[in-house]
Amino acid sequence: MEAVLFFLAAIGALGGAIGVVALQNPFYSVLALIAHLFSLAVLFLMLTSAFVAAAQVVVYAGAVMVLYVFVVAYVGGGGEPVGRDLPNQRFLAILVAGILFVELSAAVLSSALLALGTHGPDVKPGFGDPAAIGRLLLEKFLLPFEASSLVLLIAAVGAIVLAGRKRETA
Amino acid sequence: MLSIADTTFVEATWIMIAKSLVIFAIIFGILPILTVVERKLIGRFQHRYGPNRVGPYGLMQPLADVGKLISKESFRPENAVSTLFILGPLLPVLSGVLALAILPWGNVQDGVGLYGIDVPIGILYFFAVGSIAFYGLLLGGWSSGSKYSLLGAMRSAAQLISYEVSMGLALLGVIMMSGSLSLVDIVEAQNKIWFFIPQFVGFLIFMLAGFAETNRTPFDMPEADAELVQGFMTEYGGMRFGSFLLVEYMEILVVSGIAAAMFLGGWMGPGPGFLDPVWMLAKMFALVFIFIWVRATLPRLRYDQLMSLGWKVLLPLATLNVLVTAVLVVVT
Repeated sequence: MEAVLFFLAAIGALGGAIGVVALQNPFYSVLALIAHLFSLAVLFLMLTSAFVAAAQVVVYAGAVMVLYVFVVAYVGGGGEPVGRDLPNQRFLAILVAGILFVELSAAVLSSALLALGTHGPDVKPGFGDPAAIGRLLLEKFLLPFEASSLVLLIAAVGAIVLAGRKRETA
Repeated sequence: MLSIADTTFVEATWIMIAKSLVIFAIIFGILPILTVVERKLIGRFQHRYGPNRVGPYGLMQPLADVGKLISKESFRPENAVSTLFILGPLLPVLSGVLALAILPWGNVQDGVGLYGIDVPIGILYFFAVGSIAFYGLLLGGWSSGSKYSLLGAMRSAAQLISYEVSMGLALLGVIMMSGSLSLVDIVEAQNKIWFFIPQFVGFLIFMLAGFAETNRTPFDMPEADAELVQGFMTEYGGMRFGSFLLVEYMEILVVSGIAAAMFLGGWMGPGPGFLDPVWMLAKMFALVFIFIWVRATLPRLRYDQLMSLGWKVLLPLATLNVLVTAVLVVVT
């Protein structure tokens, strides 16, 4: 049961991620990204992190992606190329992908594979429920949490300022 | 076992299956009655009889309606995207049925919890599955290949995002007062006083946002018939249109159920324990009546009025409510 669910979700996540880059029509790319995010939420759920899964669906699939769909459906799309290619783009892409591959392989080979034969960590009761996450965010990691909220606030204010300036000149 | 299931209280699988079937059957029995109740009530509000030809008091009307919808051709416009067009009405139904799972009908009685599931993330589950419904509208509107449908879908997108924020913040006060996200715990916390009284502002905001989330008058902008024909469902016919309609009533029931559990004491009421689900249902129906009453009374807002109400009135008010509640909870 768990294995079946895991592979369904994993295939969904990978298929969605490939779809995002491979599909020509931006609207379908966005839909693939949504499928990817929902699959990720299922994977979080299987890692006994119900809260993270719910947050993933509510914030990313429910709010952020809605804006994506909104913009893509309005602006339409397909047809025109997204931007000019960089010089040597193909070579650079392969180089960056190769570096990422090596890095991930190193990480997987050095640590994650060691746990394959074992039972996995024992999960304490209450792990990953909202209370535990809240305690982590507001006690142990209070400073990074507040700092990131400040960064988000600055970004929001910046977006409003930029949007307002454009209207004045137009 | 998946962690979304209750970890403290485990039931046999067959009980869980039986529970889901019972909840599903009862709600789907109520939905058609709801359509005829709405038409009857609106008729009364407007000083006319409403449907009274099919069956006694017109009670068989939904049967005739559904029969008509099912026997119609499932029409599809030529430039519609077929898979997405079919997916459109499916997603909202899925989301509505999933949301039914957390409505609490009573606490554990004789070893059976009178609810679908009691998840630790509780009310977040409602928002998570609610976001699926939205894609149904959007895909339906976009894939129809029609301007009216697209505009209707875009409007619903903007509207749903705007009001979901206020809706969540309105519930935060209740969550802080009860100290739990689980709907069962929240109802239990209303043993002394229903949260409807201390959280009156939250209740008002939640209901207003609920009208907007279910696309009901005065916020039925996505399907404003005077401007957009029927919004995102313009191009739908037959039972696909029927599903969109069905989902609207299901969402009304779900929002009423959440409001009843969060603010009106859920299953709490006098009488023996087996009356608990009846109390819950009665409270839900009272709220559904308000939905219909509002539809018969208020005209549709203009789109900019809708947006400024959502962002400039409800959101600051909800935030203020959360702040005041937080201070009071800490002080007392």
